[in-house]
Amino acid sequence: MDHARSMRSMIIEEFFRHKLAVVGLVVIVSLTILALSADLISDWTGIDPNSQNVSARYLEPFTYAEEAADQRENKITEWIKDNPENAKKISAAIVEKQLLNVTVDDALYELVSKNPEEIQKLLKQIDLPEKKSLQTLSKTFSTFHLFGTDEIGRDVAIRLLYGTRVSMGVGVLVALVSALIGFLIGGIAGFYQGIIDTLLMRVTDALLSLPIVPVLIVFAAIDLTKLPGLKSLISGEFESVFKMVILLCLFSWMPVARLVRGSILTLREREFVLAARTLGAKDSTIIFRHLLPNVIATLLVSVTLGVGESILFEAALSFLGLGIMPPTASWGNMLNNAQEVIYKSVWIAILPGLLIWITVVSFNFIGDGLQEAMDPKSVKR
Amino acid sequence: MKKIFLAAMSLAVLPLLVQAKPTNKELKIGISQEFESLNLLIASTVAAHYMGPLVIRTLNTLDPDAKWYPMLAKQIPTIKNGLAKIVTVDGKKKIVATWEIIDKAKWGDGTDLTCADFQFTLKVGTNNNVSTAERETITLVEKIDFDPKTPRKCIFTYEKAKWDFANLPQFYPLPKHLESEIYEKYKAEPLGYDKNTNYVKNPTNPGLYCGPYVVSEMKLGDHVTMVRNKYFYGPQAKIEKIIFKLIPNTGTLEANLRSGTIDMISNLGLTFDQALALDKKVKAEKLPYDVQFVQSNTYEHIDLNLDNPILKDINVRKALLHAINRDDLVKALFEGKQPPALHFIDPKDPWYTADPKFVKTYRYSKRDADRLLTEAGWKKNDKDGYRYKDGKKLSLSLMSTAGNKTRETVEAYLQEEWKQVGVEITIKNQPGRVFFGETTRKHAFEGMAMYAWASNPENNPRSTQHSKSIPSAKNSYSGQNQPGWVNPKMDAAIDAMDLEFDYNKRLDLAHEMVKYYSEDIPVLPLYYRADISVVPKNLKNFRMSGHQFYETYNAENWSLE
Amino acid sequence: MSSYILRRIIQTMIMIALVSYVCFFLMSLMPGDPIELMLSSNPKMTTADVERLRELYGLNQPATTRYINWVKTIAHGDLGYSRTYRVPVTEIIGARLLNSFILSLIALIFSLAIAIPLGVFSALRPNSKLDTFVSIFSFTGISVPSFWLGLLLILIFAVKLGWLPAGGTETIDAEFSSSWRYFWDRGLYIILPVLSLSLQQIGRFVRFVRSSMRETLQTDFVRTAKAKGLSMHDVIWKHAFRNALIPVITIIALSISTIFSGALLTETVFAYQGVGKLIYDSIMANDYNVAMVSFIISVSMVLIMSLVADLLYGVIDPRISYS
Repeated sequence: MDHARSMRSMIIEEFFRHKLAVVGLVVIVSLTILALSADLISDWTGIDPNSQNVSARYLEPFTYAEEAADQRENKITEWIKDNPENAKKISAAIVEKQLLNVTVDDALYELVSKNPEEIQKLLKQIDLPEKKSLQTLSKTFSTFHLFGTDEIGRDVAIRLLYGTRVSMGVGVLVALVSALIGFLIGGIAGFYQGIIDTLLMRVTDALLSLPIVPVLIVFAAIDLTKLPGLKSLISGEFESVFKMVILLCLFSWMPVARLVRGSILTLREREFVLAARTLGAKDSTIIFRHLLPNVIATLLVSVTLGVGESILFEAALSFLGLGIMPPTASWGNMLNNAQEVIYKSVWIAILPGLLIWITVVSFNFIGDGLQEAMDPKSVKR
Repeated sequence: MKKIFLAAMSLAVLPLLVQAKPTNKELKIGISQEFESLNLLIASTVAAHYMGPLVIRTLNTLDPDAKWYPMLAKQIPTIKNGLAKIVTVDGKKKIVATWEIIDKAKWGDGTDLTCADFQFTLKVGTNNNVSTAERETITLVEKIDFDPKTPRKCIFTYEKAKWDFANLPQFYPLPKHLESEIYEKYKAEPLGYDKNTNYVKNPTNPGLYCGPYVVSEMKLGDHVTMVRNKYFYGPQAKIEKIIFKLIPNTGTLEANLRSGTIDMISNLGLTFDQALALDKKVKAEKLPYDVQFVQSNTYEHIDLNLDNPILKDINVRKALLHAINRDDLVKALFEGKQPPALHFIDPKDPWYTADPKFVKTYRYSKRDADRLLTEAGWKKNDKDGYRYKDGKKLSLSLMSTAGNKTRETVEAYLQEEWKQVGVEITIKNQPGRVFFGETTRKHAFEGMAMYAWASNPENNPRSTQHSKSIPSAKNSYSGQNQPGWVNPKMDAAIDAMDLEFDYNKRLDLAHEMVKYYSEDIPVLPLYYRADISVVPKNLKNFRMSGHQFYETYNAENWSLE
Repeated sequence: MSSYILRRIIQTMIMIALVSYVCFFLMSLMPGDPIELMLSSNPKMTTADVERLRELYGLNQPATTRYINWVKTIAHGDLGYSRTYRVPVTEIIGARLLNSFILSLIALIFSLAIAIPLGVFSALRPNSKLDTFVSIFSFTGISVPSFWLGLLLILIFAVKLGWLPAGGTETIDAEFSSSWRYFWDRGLYIILPVLSLSLQQIGRFVRFVRSSMRETLQTDFVRTAKAKGLSMHDVIWKHAFRNALIPVITIIALSISTIFSGALLTETVFAYQGVGKLIYDSIMANDYNVAMVSFIISVSMVLIMSLVADLLYGVIDPRISYS
């Protein structure tokens, strides 16, 4: 046990010596945190990824968008309905102080028709504790768009965050599932050998020989719900996301299977496996207890490298309009949306691509770090 | 070092890319849609039909003012001018009309264009081994006869006595002297003629064309080059050479325009949003282009599935219309360049009417919408703001083509408007091929489907509004009445229209149709789309048609000065 | 050896047959058959039109029957007829294959010209500044989405600077005074696609060359050579480099195999008339014959090149024998 721990700590130590891998890890961890807290950020800023504002399309980064007058009017009507007492007091105060030259009934409506800064200024001049909720309400009249807005006035920054969820989620899920499939197929092939091995490896080779992009295009274009059994699995809002995961899993387990098979072939002749077998251990026990821990390093590396690859494939398919369907945001489909207007609104085309790039680089750095840390040959320097 | 290299490179490259004002020597037109070989009898892509009139002329066509205009014909036969008459053969009413081809009509190799060519075309088009898409464009004509002594005087016999018998804008003649041999050889083989026609095997043979231009080079999937036709019947074209260049990625069309790879973007190019943006840029930077917007008869609308229990109720349909402000929509999204629609006939169509005697309008009024919905039993729940009836939420799905920015924007806009009257809209978009190939075709949308119809003026809406055109397995899903609208009075009007020779009575019928349409609301009208071209400032005599017979019909007059 | 080759060839043929059937079947699952797509753009087609065309194109038959018919026509040497372009498949595919070949070959040569020296030098000085730089460079290269890079290149070089054309294959209908001028013109159009295609390849090759070179440098025979007192130059270039090249050749062979499909995205972004774009367009337009033929060509290339790679391996490395 002691030995195992020191081995692990050695690997961790070695990994942290790989500067680029650490940078990658930091990037991924922060992106993950941001993505996971997308809902919180959305609540906190009051910006919804799907809320459109047709009067504020294609805004530049760092701009404010004001809410249309009728929307404000609706909001204030609701507010007056909910807080009739406060409304009366504030209206009276406005007229009394002659801040606005109107009747008491119209005071609040007139107030919200001003521009947001002016509203704040006017409210400051009223010293009533009741004004607080009105102040918060008026803050929602204008929204700040860090990265501007897209073709239907949705906030690009928050969509990028939700897109991170989808794109990274798909990437990680695909890498994990295909590692599992790869492990099972490679493991079974390597463990049982003979006809099973030949058969499984032929299938693996066959799939590897396919030109992956065109095949993915065909699969993405067919209606998977037409296949029996899949209909119940993939339906609803995230239909296209599930479809993407299934698709990419189908075509990304093969390299893992080959790797695992290779290591199992050597492992199965080792003493501890032979010992377990002579002791009458079940096949499943041997595979999961004895063989899995020994290939886990290989698996870990291929998972991290696989994430990057899956993200790229997802982006490519979505870019061609065959991947994640709007309104669900993903980096790829944001890029697809943006390419038409790349000359007009440069940022909405550059940002998603940049995020894809940074994320994939980070995963690759981590993968490289892991590989070097675990490779006994590379314990040097 | 690097700087020197870059500077050297820019010096070397620039001379080739310097953008000069286009002249009458050459005009390069960008399109974003695929085209095919130009045998227009079988061609089905829009792009092929857009280029068509440059190289092949028909007897007549419809000009941008929606007037019929003779091209190969000396005169359009009508009952009034005596060139056509109704005859009765075996108890069936038929039409016999005389089409006289102008004397100067010749194929590009100097061979005379005669009735024999039309006769041959009819024979080819009705062969089951030839893949003519919409056979009715030519089978209106039952047979063509002529006296060998007057080979340009053709007697067309029409199968049915329909008022629009003389509208033959898609009866493209084939050159018998070149194609006949091939046809005879392959006519018995499925698709044999399609595969071996000269338009495929030898597309640069000038004898295949009779328009102001002939094809001089053709690279499918890339470009077509056209040069003047010496033997054109009209005045020689002013522009020496016209090149159509396919740039499938609409995003790079603009870059190609700016770098001078193309001089002009045709109607089959930019999306509406791109055009608006480019228009502003062109004006701000004073670029030598005009971005032209012309209201077309492409009718953007929402089909309501009338089998849906919610939408069955006429009051709900009315409320849906009352709740949306189409005037504001086109102002906010299209800067007024795509006008709101009243019904399926557009304002440029002679049949158009806005007379309240016929057209029932539903003005924008949230109050009216609220009242109608409440009357229909849908009560507003104060908690979530949506309406409910018997515990069921008033929720409808709105489907359209995914990735179409304009439609997605409109959907978002409408969703917000309907939310204000308590109707929940769930947006479900599908890729174009699924949406058109399966969903709308097979009447498989639950609630609402948003898309467009393109038609031509004075079009009888049989395929979209007759109850026999409701798509079903029985008619191979070939009908397009996707709402499933059944109104016997409408059916009768449609049936009567075909056989009505009196213009004023046809007008009455059209107005009657509009009346039923606006009363029943099987469809929510949205707006008429705009056709968009980006043309060099010095291009003269170019006028967009706004309907499916394109502006290329007078290309011989285009001029760059 | 020859029996091994024969076996592999037979296996390859069987694979191609299987894959072609699977592809055919999958395409039949795509929504909207060609006639339905035609109908949606032409509302006036009648029931009779639909049925007539279905029969003419053989679409009224089940997928398997259609597949058998397709194989029969292929066996006659007829690649079929493109429904989109209305010409025989051979008419469009030839030029496209050539274009793709030119693009991918130039990109490959360019990538190797950059990747091999970079890889070798960084292997010679592990953990040096150069090595770190090369490593970062290759990782960023591998990770860049090529279609996005393409868009950026267009934005910078075609739109902002106006140095290079934004897309296409050649200047249409230009008359060139000499063939040199023509090559120059083609060259201008190919620069951006090659750049966008190469970055990823360079990244991959550099890593490969580096690790292969590192491994060789640590092997016994290199140490022996060093011990024998050979000059460093000779050790590196005569011994180590040649051996390090063996696995690199496999990679090159395999990347040649993707020549006909790997550039799909790049070709789409740059509207370059290659076979990758043709595959994409034909799948989207449901143009069976074109899609199937391009598919088969791509798959065959992969299979054949991996066979070639295996055999080359045997020729170069005498330790491997096929029996």
